[in-house]
Amino acid sequence: MADIALQGITKKFGPNTALRGVDIDIKDGEFFVLLGQTGAGKTTMLRVIAGLEKPDAGRVMIEGQDATAWNAAQRDVALVLQQYSLYPRLTVRGNLEFPLKSRTHNFTPTEIRERVERAAETLQITQLLDRKVEKLSGGEMQRVSIGRAFVRQPRVFLMDEPLSALDANLRDVLRVELKKLHNELGATFVFVTHDQVEAMSMGDKIGVLNKGKLVQVGTPDEIYNRPLNTFVARAVGTPPMNLLNGTLEGDKAQMDGGGYALPVTRPHGTNGQNLRFGIRPEDVVIAADAPAKGRVFDVENHGVMKILTIHAGDAHIHATVSAQTQVGIDDPIAFGWKPEKVLYFDPQTGRNLALV
Amino acid sequence: MAQIQIRNVQKFFGQNQVLKDLNLTIEDGEFVVMLGQSGGGKTTALRAIAGLETVTDGKILIDGVEVQDRKAADRDIAFVFQSFSLYPHMTVRENIAFPLRAVRMDASERDRAIKEVADTLQITQHLDRKPSALSGGDMQRVAIGRALVRRPQALLMDEPLGVLDAKLREQMRAEIKRLHIARGSTSVYVTHDQIEAMSLADRIVILHDGVLQQVGAPDEVYLHPTNLFVAKFVGSPVMNVSDVDIDGAQVRLKGASTGFTFDEAKLAGLRNTGGGVSLGIRPEAVLLRQAKAKGYAEAQTTNIEPLGSHDIVDVRLGDTVLRARTASGFVRGEGLKVWVSIDPSQAHFFDKQNELNLAGVS
Repeated sequence: MADIALQGITKKFGPNTALRGVDIDIKDGEFFVLLGQTGAGKTTMLRVIAGLEKPDAGRVMIEGQDATAWNAAQRDVALVLQQYSLYPRLTVRGNLEFPLKSRTHNFTPTEIRERVERAAETLQITQLLDRKVEKLSGGEMQRVSIGRAFVRQPRVFLMDEPLSALDANLRDVLRVELKKLHNELGATFVFVTHDQVEAMSMGDKIGVLNKGKLVQVGTPDEIYNRPLNTFVARAVGTPPMNLLNGTLEGDKAQMDGGGYALPVTRPHGTNGQNLRFGIRPEDVVIAADAPAKGRVFDVENHGVMKILTIHAGDAHIHATVSAQTQVGIDDPIAFGWKPEKVLYFDPQTGRNLALV
Repeated sequence: MAQIQIRNVQKFFGQNQVLKDLNLTIEDGEFVVMLGQSGGGKTTALRAIAGLETVTDGKILIDGVEVQDRKAADRDIAFVFQSFSLYPHMTVRENIAFPLRAVRMDASERDRAIKEVADTLQITQHLDRKPSALSGGDMQRVAIGRALVRRPQALLMDEPLGVLDAKLREQMRAEIKRLHIARGSTSVYVTHDQIEAMSLADRIVILHDGVLQQVGAPDEVYLHPTNLFVAKFVGSPVMNVSDVDIDGAQVRLKGASTGFTFDEAKLAGLRNTGGGVSLGIRPEAVLLRQAKAKGYAEAQTTNIEPLGSHDIVDVRLGDTVLRARTASGFVRGEGLKVWVSIDPSQAHFFDKQNELNLAGVS
């Protein structure tokens, strides 16, 4: 068990800066998710924590001690990667024993057997122990990879997109299992993903990365409902939050290029100010007497619900509606929003004005 | 514009049969999505229509004319691949014009054709740039433009959005559908992504192990799956499926002390072959309450996935864990007592042996 802190971490690769002065505190036993697109710096950050990359500036603290100069082995962390990195010719048991047989550990054969069997039981792969790895399915292989990290009983698990290569249904299952594993072990998990569903559904905390900078750290609820800026606002939720340019006029948001206005309650910003109004698709309301008029640009049937794209003014607005809603492409449609759900962003800086 | 018919098509790769007696009619102007896992046969079927694969047996007809022995070039069908396959040394304009080189056309006519597809795809401003200067989405727009410029009889697309990131995929989905509506060309689209299939298709064709599982509009496939494969492949999170005992009007999950009450006549009408029954129930049809109520059974929450717009809550009832879709924050935590029921009108029953929907397909 360990808490981890990064302090002012900068990492460059030649002319490219992968991390720009990142500060982060990960508490002992936390399930911490780093969310970002390809190139945001999340894998670099994980590798800096693991000791596989040396930062150009800043410190890595583990349990309050400066671990910046420690090598990977000294840090007592285990890394699980997207690719399984197993020994194909060994059995599952052979793969699980492997990290314990290193001379630095000095485990007795009994200890090794106990650790392997406990790992197998926890990950529900006991029945696979004597099979060759190459005979396993993708999901089974990823369980064995996690098992290989698990047998060492490290203080910290670092996971780099471990579910990305699996099909959707298996991902659903392993998400739940990983969370359960985390609860049982009480170890610190740092989990890297580009998938906002994984981030929202697994993390105690989510750290949102953009271009090497940590933009916001918060619980899933904070990230979803109180995003610091428009980048975070659109990083979680499907479809992403609608951002509409307009002007605050008294108790109305007057939209640009559309000539329609929607009501606001307790707005942030000053009267007459240009703003970007943020509203999530589930908070857009379709009703015959709604104040704004548009046309249906697209209807997506997702079975459990429909997602409408409404063309109004010069904007496309997403609305999540019930599966029973009957609308067709190019139909005229009246819509509004839930005024209490509107977020107010500065159009220049993108900052959420409620949090400035 | 064309109708495409596939008649008793068999396809072998060596010993391996990848299409097993495939029969399908795609109507003129229709947007059909072939959905399945990798290895299911969907790409082979698409390539067989295009003439990029021969068929081992059976017929393919375009507007009633047999084409299975014709070369791809003689079928007047355009194909868009997942990888953009543009000529890097040519400009966007030259790439789009390329398929027209074999067509007799004067310069002004050609320019008009290029301009028209470029306008439709909103890539006019890129016409004089090289593909390498474009984003992934624009590259795929160019690839689609190149496919459409000849006004082919049909447009075939093999996972065209597969390499794009999630947000761009959503945007391009709507564009492809608008384009289809604008051009009215018969379109066949292959994907493994059920959301893409649900949101694009007039009809979805589900293939598994080379066998056609179901053909239907998105609603039919979602609400009336013919078998367990279709039921579990479409919808996210996946449909809950668990073994049940049926006794009169009672449907009881394994290990649960109480059952759920159904209309006895409906249960009696199932085409039960006696091989055991599985209940299939989608997460949105699993109902939770905070307090005891008639028809609700006591259960424990085991996991919560907060997704912002809603939560997915796992509850244990007997030996079964059911996933339920709830409003955000409806359940406070794990290990708590809740009461669970199911909506009988949204329940499915499957034969455990042959995995068919016991209600048949309405």
